[in-house]
Amino acid sequence: MCGIAGIMYKRNTMDAGVGNALIAMLDGCQHRGPDSTGFALYHEPQPGLLRLRFFVGDEERTEDRITRIKAKLAEFQAEIVDESRDGTTYRVQVKFSGDLKAFSYAMEHVAKVVSIGESLDIIKDIGGAHDVDATYKVDSFEGSHGIGHVRLATESDVAPEASHPFWATGFADIAIVHNGQITNYWKMRRRLEKHGFEFNTDNDSELIAVYLAEKLSNGISLRDALEDSIEDMDGTFSFLVSTKDEIGYAKDNLAAKPMVKYEDDDIIAIASEEVSLNRLFPGKPLNTVEPPPGTFNTWQKSI
Amino acid sequence: MAKIDLARLSVTEANKLIRKYGAEGENVDVLNPDAKHHIGVGLVHPINVRVHGSAGYFCAGLSDGARFEVENNVGWGLADNMLTGSIVVRGNAGAIAAVAIRGAEVIVHGNIGSRAGQVMKEGTLLCAGNANFMAGYMMYGGRIVILGQSGEKVGQDMTGGTLYVAGKVNSLGTDAKQIDLESDEDDEIREMLERYQIPFNGSFQKIVNAGEKLHYSRNEPRSRSQSFFMASGTSDYWNAKVQTDIDIKAQIGRYRIRGYGATRALPHLADLAFRKDLSQIPADGEVTKKIDLKTEIGARNGAEPIKLSMPVMIAPMSYGALSKSAKLALARASALSGISENTGEGGMMDEQREAADQLIYQCLSGRLGWNIHDMQRANGLEIYISQGAKPGLGGQLMAKKVTEEIARIRGIPAGIDLRSPSRHPDVLGADDLVIKVEEFREATGHRIPVSVKLGAGRVRDDIKIAFKDGFDFVELDGLQGSTGAAGNEVLEYVGIPTLSAIQEAMDALGEVGGVEEMPVVLMGGIKDGLDAAKAIALGAHAVAFGTAAIIAGGCIACLQCHVGQCVVGIATQDPEHEKRYQTNVEAENIHRFLEGVRWQLATIAVAHGYDDIHQLDRNDLVALTPEAAAITGLPYEPGYRDTKPQATRKAS
Repeated sequence: MCGIAGIMYKRNTMDAGVGNALIAMLDGCQHRGPDSTGFALYHEPQPGLLRLRFFVGDEERTEDRITRIKAKLAEFQAEIVDESRDGTTYRVQVKFSGDLKAFSYAMEHVAKVVSIGESLDIIKDIGGAHDVDATYKVDSFEGSHGIGHVRLATESDVAPEASHPFWATGFADIAIVHNGQITNYWKMRRRLEKHGFEFNTDNDSELIAVYLAEKLSNGISLRDALEDSIEDMDGTFSFLVSTKDEIGYAKDNLAAKPMVKYEDDDIIAIASEEVSLNRLFPGKPLNTVEPPPGTFNTWQKSI
Repeated sequence: MAKIDLARLSVTEANKLIRKYGAEGENVDVLNPDAKHHIGVGLVHPINVRVHGSAGYFCAGLSDGARFEVENNVGWGLADNMLTGSIVVRGNAGAIAAVAIRGAEVIVHGNIGSRAGQVMKEGTLLCAGNANFMAGYMMYGGRIVILGQSGEKVGQDMTGGTLYVAGKVNSLGTDAKQIDLESDEDDEIREMLERYQIPFNGSFQKIVNAGEKLHYSRNEPRSRSQSFFMASGTSDYWNAKVQTDIDIKAQIGRYRIRGYGATRALPHLADLAFRKDLSQIPADGEVTKKIDLKTEIGARNGAEPIKLSMPVMIAPMSYGALSKSAKLALARASALSGISENTGEGGMMDEQREAADQLIYQCLSGRLGWNIHDMQRANGLEIYISQGAKPGLGGQLMAKKVTEEIARIRGIPAGIDLRSPSRHPDVLGADDLVIKVEEFREATGHRIPVSVKLGAGRVRDDIKIAFKDGFDFVELDGLQGSTGAAGNEVLEYVGIPTLSAIQEAMDALGEVGGVEEMPVVLMGGIKDGLDAAKAIALGAHAVAFGTAAIIAGGCIACLQCHVGQCVVGIATQDPEHEKRYQTNVEAENIHRFLEGVRWQLATIAVAHGYDDIHQLDRNDLVALTPEAAAITGLPYEPGYRDTKPQATRKAS
């Protein structure tokens, strides 16, 4: 039960104000989800380097958790080149070139992983867009694209780890935000688990991330994966997905959850409500489109 | 022409100004709307409002008489429930444009989103572009004109009204069919297109209801009247109730419909006892003067609360399920006892408004009888999500009861087997619900409380959502709640018991720190002051009586409410039957019953040494059965059943 937003600047750039744009869009639909807010941001990838972010809490056991994370990193010969503590998280950048899936599952077993990727950094916490920004300085983030989410918790807890975006555990740089409810969640989860995938929450949105990641890892294009998802998933959904260089959306056949998109020569922006899109262009009437039921689309960064 | 700049003012401030200019007859320009929600909601004056840009959800919603123009797009729920007046949108409209309109003209130059015109009753939705999925879904009347493509499943489950499609009909919905157009209809549409300066020289295809789902194919035979007492039976396997059900199913080939609620044994408030030995309390006719039972409810967000002389309400029951005479008896009794009455589904009557002192106005999925004027004269508004008797299902009103008058108030065709939608057109999640609640507050100037009625299902989650969505209070209804008509299996088995419901609700509120902030009104099988006191001890702020009030007012509990030929004139719309009902006499009877409840509440509270009824606490209670102990977490003390009888005597 939420609001979603995503933006991509089409020209080949890494210096657009993605952070500020997402903050404005999410603040615009904060009424849809006051409990927590999250961002999936994409940095310029640096060859051979991985970004990892963990929830470590802000209480006594935090140091223990970081020690365990460091020990596990050492075990995988992941050499730390940069690190910081932000809010309830620990961020680290490492040199790593092994099997990412095995590495990330191992990391999951010692700490709560927020995201892993060459480029992806997920920031999510309790509170509104401006609260999260105050702690994590999202406003200064520049890049080419990103997605975000405001959450009203219904079935799972109000906790940072239950917030969106969700990272597709084991698959670098894939994030999703979702508004709705996947009703064949357990059926699809068990199928993926049988194929060796791990789940870290009972949140149905994590399923979408893992589902898409499996497809992508099998060489299926994001477009085809999104098309399949509309048939494979039951329930109500409007979701956004982002990778290192693409964003996309899919919407269920019943069109039960809102979604509006705006596109011009420079940007593609999608949000639950037009009021979020209008935050990017105050005072300007926009030529927007509500994607029809059962549709999907993707946009790629121009290279 | 007054200018209102939304870059400077909040929508609430702007709406106040728009209403002020409306009363003065001055037209309004809205600048910098930037797709904000609720613009123009609740306006009841015939002025022109021009929105210079895009509007968000519920633009011009719950309005009557104004002429709106929006220069760009609008969000979901355009012109929600608009009575008369018009709105012209130059751009596109989101989902459920013209939802539940009752006479307005809604013109969209661009495309419209899915489920356009859902549950509309009267008026016109004209779309010059393409429509989307399920246009005309569950519409009851009026017309939808689509110049472009119809979208899939056009006219899905429509009951009345007409769709005219000039472009491709992508596919017809269930119970919709295509027929030929009369020439005068064509003329009327072209006249309207001309009036709104929309050039068009194509032709139309007409879509109407196919009439296959308006009635149950076979009626139930009249069965021998079997009382609630009989139906409760002694065996869970084979008893008179089971026999009757099987007999009826064998004749009609479908589920059986009946009135009342679950008849099987369930854990309930009777499985709890007060630790205090109430049998030793002397009867005291003056006890109600020794304690203040006054209860206010609904001020959480600063609205004028519902004022009750004791923590008791009349449960929501509709004019439709019940006769006007029976509803008036309840309204009068509620005023005599200083408590609140509730319209239930199906609208407010003038006489009811007059008779009741405190009246809560309920909004259901079909928006039957819902309108801005009755909202503004209510003391509270209530969004019905579900009820204890049949959580997840919509209301049912059989054809016999859908008279011309009932149909007129509700805005539907007369004489159909009315099955209300199971969900709201504009509430598909907690996120949408936030925006809906805000629309109600805007429409009434944030003056009166907005509550939510919840049938007990996933209580823990639902209560938390209600809390987060800012409701002023919750009416929580357990499995033992009754209804005028529902499938027998649903009544017996769907939902969770009232006792579990209140416990889960209080646990959930405890988890989010909302116990003191959001009151819960409990209902569903509450039969006397003792039950009420136990409910309050468990944490309910008040209780509501439905079945008990009806029985006090003459109901013989024959379970035949759905048939429409109630022999005592309560659950009927047949004037011959209704004639038997003596409204004033029954109002006095209900009032006397309620005063008995007051006496019991006062006696129990005073016996505990309390001077406020809400000092009753769960520690005052014990559980008499293992189930009740497991449900409530109260100590299991079966000894209280025998050694400490808990009968209270009524004041002489």
